[in-house]
Amino acid sequence: MKKAYNQTWIDNLHIQQQAAEWKSKNLLTPAQEEQVKEHFPEKFYRPGLFVKIGLFCFAVVACSFFIGFLSLFWVDTHSDTGFSVLSLIACGCFIFVLEFLIRDRKLFHSGVDNALLYAAVAAAMVPMFMLFNHAPLWAYCLAALAIIIPATLRYADLLGPIAIFGLVFTLLTDLMMKFALGKALLPFAIMVLSVCIYILVRKSRDIYYRECRQILEVLSLVTFYLGGNYLVVREANAIISGLNVSIAPQIAFAPLFYFFTLAIPVAYIVSGLKKPDRMLLIVGLLAFAFSIHTYFHYFSILTVSQGLTLAGALMIAGAVALIKYLHTPKHGISDEQDRKNNLADLQALIAAEKLGVTPHQPGLEFGGGTFGGGGAGEVY
Amino acid sequence: MTTRSILNDLTDKEIISPQQADTIDTFEHEKTFSIHWELRSILYLGILFFSSGAGILIYENIDTIGHQAIIAVIACITAYCYYYTYKNSLPFSPDQVENPNKLVDYVLLLGCSTFLGLEGYLQFQYNIFGSRYGLAVIIPTIIFFVCAYRFDHRGALSMAITGLASWLGLTIAPLSVLSDNDFSDAKLIIPAIALGSLLTAAGWISEEQHFKKHFAFMYMLMGGNLACIAAQIGLFSFEPKILYFFIGIGLCWFFILRARQAQSLLFLLMGTVYGYCILTYVIFTNLGADAALGLGIFYFLFSSVGVIYFLLNFKKFLGIKPEIRK
Repeated sequence: MKKAYNQTWIDNLHIQQQAAEWKSKNLLTPAQEEQVKEHFPEKFYRPGLFVKIGLFCFAVVACSFFIGFLSLFWVDTHSDTGFSVLSLIACGCFIFVLEFLIRDRKLFHSGVDNALLYAAVAAAMVPMFMLFNHAPLWAYCLAALAIIIPATLRYADLLGPIAIFGLVFTLLTDLMMKFALGKALLPFAIMVLSVCIYILVRKSRDIYYRECRQILEVLSLVTFYLGGNYLVVREANAIISGLNVSIAPQIAFAPLFYFFTLAIPVAYIVSGLKKPDRMLLIVGLLAFAFSIHTYFHYFSILTVSQGLTLAGALMIAGAVALIKYLHTPKHGISDEQDRKNNLADLQALIAAEKLGVTPHQPGLEFGGGTFGGGGAGEVY
Repeated sequence: MTTRSILNDLTDKEIISPQQADTIDTFEHEKTFSIHWELRSILYLGILFFSSGAGILIYENIDTIGHQAIIAVIACITAYCYYYTYKNSLPFSPDQVENPNKLVDYVLLLGCSTFLGLEGYLQFQYNIFGSRYGLAVIIPTIIFFVCAYRFDHRGALSMAITGLASWLGLTIAPLSVLSDNDFSDAKLIIPAIALGSLLTAAGWISEEQHFKKHFAFMYMLMGGNLACIAAQIGLFSFEPKILYFFIGIGLCWFFILRARQAQSLLFLLMGTVYGYCILTYVIFTNLGADAALGLGIFYFLFSSVGVIYFLLNFKKFLGIKPEIRK
C-alpha cells in the first residue's frame, strides 16, 4: 500500500527530533542542530495539540453537515440502497479532500485529516450494514478489517491499530465461542494471539508506522496479561456460561492462572527494566496493581479504606526508598530528570479536582479513584 | 532507522565528525534508564490514595479513636510537612525555581491536603468557625496562595484558586465547572464572570510583568474557562443578553489574540470554540426558527470549513512568525 504522507519528511522529522535530544544533552552544538534542520528538512503542517483538537472537532461538524448537504440533492434517501449510494459518494468526496489536503496543505495527523479519514471509513462501512442486515458477527468483522487495514497501512492513523486489534479479538472470540472446547480454551487462545501480534509488530522497523507499532505492542501486552488474569478469567467464565450468581464459580486450571496473575506483571517489570523498555515497564506496573486488586477481590481481609490507606502508605514508602536508593544510578537505572515535566500543569489540575475540597463538607468528600485502577497512570 | 544509521547520515553530510559520532554512539549505549517520572507518579498516586483512605478510615472509626488523638496526628503531619518544605526550600524568586530536592513538591501537596482535612475536622467537630463559612474557606485559600508563591508550587496555586472560587460559592475545577455549579441562579453568573475575568487578568499580569510567569497558564485556564462558560450561560438564559454577548465575545477575542504570544494554543482553541458557540447562538436566535432550519445545514457546513481555514492559517491571520511553534 502506497503511503499517503511523505516518507522522507517523516524520516527527517525523526532525525530532527533525535538531534534536538542530543543537543539537550550537549552532544551537538546549536549550530550543528541548525545544520541538521537544513540538511534534513520537513515541511509538514503540525499545529499544537489544542489546535489539532479544534481542527478535529470542526472537521467532524463539517463532515456531518456535508452529508446533510448532499442529501438535500438526493431524492431517494429512504431506501437502503439509496442511502448506501449516498454514503459511498460522501466517502469518495472525503477521500478526495483528504488526499488534496495532505498534498496541498501538507497536513500530517493535524486533526482535519484524522477527521476526514474517520468520516471516510465510517461512510464506507455504512453500505455494509445497510445491505447485509443479518450477516453473522464474524462476517462484519472481516468486512470492517478489509476496509480498515488498507486505510491504516496508507495513513498510519493511530485509531487504526486500535480498531484492527479490537476486531481481530472479536473475531477470535466469536469463532471460539461456537464450540464447547473453544470456550474452555479461550483465555489461552487470547494469550497466544497476543504473543503472535507482539512478535509480528516487533519485527516492523518502519519509522512510518512507529506509533501504530507502539500502540499494538501496548495492547497486546495488556491482552496477554488480561487473558491470564485470574479475576478476568473467572468472572468472564461465569458470564459466558450464563450463570447468574453473585460469586463466580471456581475455574479449571486455577493454579495456572494464579501463577500467570503474579508472574506476568513481574516478568513485564523486570524485562522492562532490563531491556530497557518503558512501555513494558509501565504496563507491568499497571498490571501489578491490577493483580493486587485481583488478590484482594477474592481474599479480602481489608476494607476499602484500609486497603487504600495501606496501598498509599506502601506506594509512598516504596517510591521514597527507591528515589533515595537511585540517588546515584545503579544497574543502568537512574532517577534523572531527563525529560521535561510536561505534566506539571496536569498534576496541578488533578490536585484541584481531587484535593481542592471545601472545608465545610468534612470526611466523605475524599475518596477519589478506586484501588485497582492505580499504578503509574499519568506517565504518558 | 537506528541511532547508528542516523549518525551515519549526519557524518555523510559532514555535520558531525566521526569522532563525535562515536561519542554519541557510546553515550546512547551507556546511558542509564531513567524511571524518574514512573517513581514520581507512584508517589503522587500514593499520596492521593493515602489521604483518601485515611480520610475514610478516620471517618469510619471516629468513635473508637477519639477526636483529640486524630486532630493531634493530623496536625503533626501537617506541621511536619510545612516544616520539611520550609527547611528544604530555596529562596523566593519571581521566576520558576528548580529545586534539586525532588520530594519537596509532594510533601507540600500532602501538607496542604492534610491542612484542609484538619480544618474541616475542627469545624465539623468543634464548630470553631460557627456559621462563618467564608472565614473557614478564606484561611486555607490565603495560606495556599502564600505557599504557592513562596515555594513555587503550581498544585498549591490551583488549590488556592479553587478555594477562592468556593469562597464565592463556585466550583472552578475544569471538569466540574458545568456539573457542580448551579448556574440556574442568576446571582452566581456575575460573580463567576467577575472572578474568571479577575483570574485571567492575574494570569495576564504575571506574564506581562514576568512575575511567576509559569503561573499564568493555571490562572488563565481556570479563570478563562469559568468566565466563558458563565458568560455563555448568562447569554442563553438571562437578560440583558447584549451585555453577556459583549463580555463573552470580548473574552474570546482576548484569548485568540493571546495566541500571538504562542504561550499556549489551548487559549486559541478556547477562544475559537466559545466564540463560535456564542456567535452561532446569537445568529440563530435573531433569525427565528424557520429561517434557522432552512439555513442550518449551509451555515454549519460553511462556518466550520471557515473555522478550519482560520485554524490552519491562524498564524498568518494573527501575524505570528512561523518559527514560534509549540
